[in-house]
Amino acid sequence: MSRRTKTLLRYTLLLLIAAISIGPFLWQLSTALKGAGENIYSVPPSFLPAEPTGGNFTRVGEVLPVWGYVWNSVRVALATVVLNVVGASLAGYALARLRFRGRRAALSVFVLALLVPGEAVMVALFLMMRSVNLHDTLVAVVLPGMVGALNVLLMYNAFGAQPRELDEAAMIDGADAWQRFTRVALPSVKGTVAVVAIFAFMGAWDDFLWPLIVLSDPANYTLTVGLEYLRGTFVGDQRLIAAGTIIAVAPLIALFFSLQRYFFRGVNEGAVKG
Amino acid sequence: MRTPATRAAAALAAAVLTASGCGLAAPGTGGAGEGGPVDGPADGAITFQTWNLKAEYEDFFTGVIEEFERANPGAQVRWLDQPAEGYADKLSADAAAGTLPDVVNVAPDLVHPLAEAGMVLDLDEARPGAAGAYTADAWEGFTVPGRDGTYAYPWYLNTGPVFYNRALFEEAGLDPDSPPTTYDELFDQALEMAEATDGGTAMLGQTPGIIDLGLYGSQAMNEDGTRFTFNDAAGVEMVERYKELYDAGALVPESLTQDYTGAGEQFMSGAIAWAPGSAYDLENFRTNAPDLYKNVGITEVITNTGRAHMYLQGLAVSAKSEEPATAAAFAEFVTNAANQEAFAHEVQIFPSTKGSLDDPYFTEEDGTDEGRVRVAAAAQLESATSYTPVVFGDQMQNLLRDEIALAMRGDKSPQQALDDAVDRCNALLEEG
Repeated sequence: MSRRTKTLLRYTLLLLIAAISIGPFLWQLSTALKGAGENIYSVPPSFLPAEPTGGNFTRVGEVLPVWGYVWNSVRVALATVVLNVVGASLAGYALARLRFRGRRAALSVFVLALLVPGEAVMVALFLMMRSVNLHDTLVAVVLPGMVGALNVLLMYNAFGAQPRELDEAAMIDGADAWQRFTRVALPSVKGTVAVVAIFAFMGAWDDFLWPLIVLSDPANYTLTVGLEYLRGTFVGDQRLIAAGTIIAVAPLIALFFSLQRYFFRGVNEGAVKG
Repeated sequence: MRTPATRAAAALAAAVLTASGCGLAAPGTGGAGEGGPVDGPADGAITFQTWNLKAEYEDFFTGVIEEFERANPGAQVRWLDQPAEGYADKLSADAAAGTLPDVVNVAPDLVHPLAEAGMVLDLDEARPGAAGAYTADAWEGFTVPGRDGTYAYPWYLNTGPVFYNRALFEEAGLDPDSPPTTYDELFDQALEMAEATDGGTAMLGQTPGIIDLGLYGSQAMNEDGTRFTFNDAAGVEMVERYKELYDAGALVPESLTQDYTGAGEQFMSGAIAWAPGSAYDLENFRTNAPDLYKNVGITEVITNTGRAHMYLQGLAVSAKSEEPATAAAFAEFVTNAANQEAFAHEVQIFPSTKGSLDDPYFTEEDGTDEGRVRVAAAAQLESATSYTPVVFGDQMQNLLRDEIALAMRGDKSPQQALDDAVDRCNALLEEG
C-alpha cells in the first residue's frame, strides 16, 4: 500500500469516528434550531434547518424557570468539584506516600467502593438524608458524591507514579508531610487534578436519579431533573427538548475546552523535569 | 407522550418497596391508621403530587387549589410535580422513607405495590359512598387482585383512535378512504402493502403486547387474577398472524425491540403506516411532523371484543397522612365532575365521572379534527376497559416482548413463546 492510500485510509477512519461521536450532537443542535413548520422525523433527515430560529431557546426559558435550575446545578457541580479535588488528592497522597497502620485496608475499601452500584444503596442513602433532615436540600445532592472512590484511586496512581526519590529528597531538606504534599507532589499532578475536576463536574452535572429522589420541591431541582419537564405528558415538542439539551451540555463543553491544556498533560505526568 | 418506558426500573423499585416499605414505621404515623372510615373537617395542610403536569397546566392546578382552599377554610395544599422520568423510583423511595405526599397521582400499575405495602388508603373502607361519583369501570381500575378495596380515585382517562398515513396507503395502491376495520382486513392490507412496495413500507411498528392480545380476544389472567392465561388460542393465533407479517416485511424489523414511543416516532417519520394512538397525539403530529399531519387518516380501533382499551390515571391518598380527611376531600375535589371536565378542556383527555361524557363537548363535533377525534374517542370509552392487569409491570412487559421477538425470528413457535412468557410472568407474580 502506498503512503498516500495509507494516509487517505487513516483520514477516512478518523472522519468516520468523528461523524459517529459528534453527529448525534450536531443533530440535536440542528433540531434545536428548526422552525415550527419543519418535520422533525423526516426521512431522509435534513441536517440544515430550513427556517432556522433561536426562538426555541427563549421558549425553554418561558416554559421552565430554567435559569433557576442552572443556578442550582452550578452550585452543586462547583461544590462537588472542590470537595473532590481537595478530598481525593489528600486521600490519594496519604495512600500513596504516607506510612500508617491499615493503609492497605483503606486502599481496598476504595477499590471495593467502586464495585457497589449507586442504585443499590440509593434508598438507604435517602433514608439517611431524611433521618438527618437534609432531604430536599442541595446539600443532600452533593454529599454522596463529595469524594468519589474512582477519583481517590486516580490521584493515588498519579502520586504513586512520581519517583519516590523526589519525596525523599524533600524529606532530607526538612519538609514535613504537608509541605511535601503542597509544594512538591501536588504541582506535578495538575493533569490528573484536571481529570478529577472534569469527572466530578460531569458526574454532578449529569446526575439524574439521585437528585430526583432526594429533591421534592421543584424550586430546588437541578437542570437535568428540571429539563425532564420539557417532555410533556401528552405532547412533547422535540425542538424544545433539543434546545434544553444544548443548554445542559454547553457548560460541559466550555469546561472541557478551558481545561484542555491540562487534560492532555496527564499522559506524561510524573516525569522529573531536568 | 407518556410511555411505559418512563416508568423505568419499576421492577427494581417495586422490589425495594416491598423489601423496605413494610418494615419501616414512618414518622408521624397514627394519622389514618388501619381501616375505618375517614371523616372530619377538611382543614389541614397537605401536599399534592402530580406526574409531569406543572410545565403546561400550572394555571389550571393553581386555580383548582385556590378554589379548594377558599371552600375549606383552614385547608392548605402544597403542590408538587414530578417529571416524567423515574416516577416509580421516586414513589417507592418516598414510600420507604414515609415521605409519600398526602395526595399522589398514580396509574393502576403504580398503585399496586403501594397498596400491597399498605401505604395508601383503601377508599371503599375510608370513604364509603365515594364510588358513586365515578363510572364503574374506572373505579374498578384501581382494585388490586387478591385484596378487597379500591386504592385510588379515578382521574382522567385516555383512549384514542388509530392514525394512519394516507399517503403511504395510496402509494401501496390501498384505498385511504376505506381503512381496515377488522384484523383480517388489517393483516391482508399489511401484506399487500409490503408486496406492493417490495418490503419498503411496513404497516405496523410493534409486535403485539398485552393490550393487543386483549383486544384480539385473549384473556390476560384467570378469574381470580392469580395466574396469567394469555397463551390461549386467541393469543397464539395473533402471534402466528404477526409472524406471517414479520416474514413478509409488513412489520418493521425494529418492532422486535421497540415500544410505543419508538413506534410513534416511526409513524411520524413515515416508516410505518398504521399507529394506534391517544386522542392528544394529533397535537404531537402537528408539532413534530407537520407534513404527516396533513396526510393523517383517523379510524376506529380494531377489536375482536368490541371493547377498546383505556388508560387510567388516579389519585391515591397516603395511609400515613396526618390529615387524611383533608387529603381525601381534596382528592375528591380534584376528581369531581366539574374539575375533570374543566381539565378535559385544557387537553384531550376524558373525565372518569358518571355522566360527564354526555356533555355536548364530547358528543357533538365542532368541525375541527380535534373535535372529531374527541367525539370518536368519547364514544369508544362507553365500552372501553383496561386490558393491562395491574400486576403486569414493566419487567413482565419486557419479557413478553422478548419472547415474542423469539417467535418472530422463528427461534420458537408462537405457542412455545407465549407458554414461556406465561410461565415466567407467573413466576414473577409468585415472587411478588
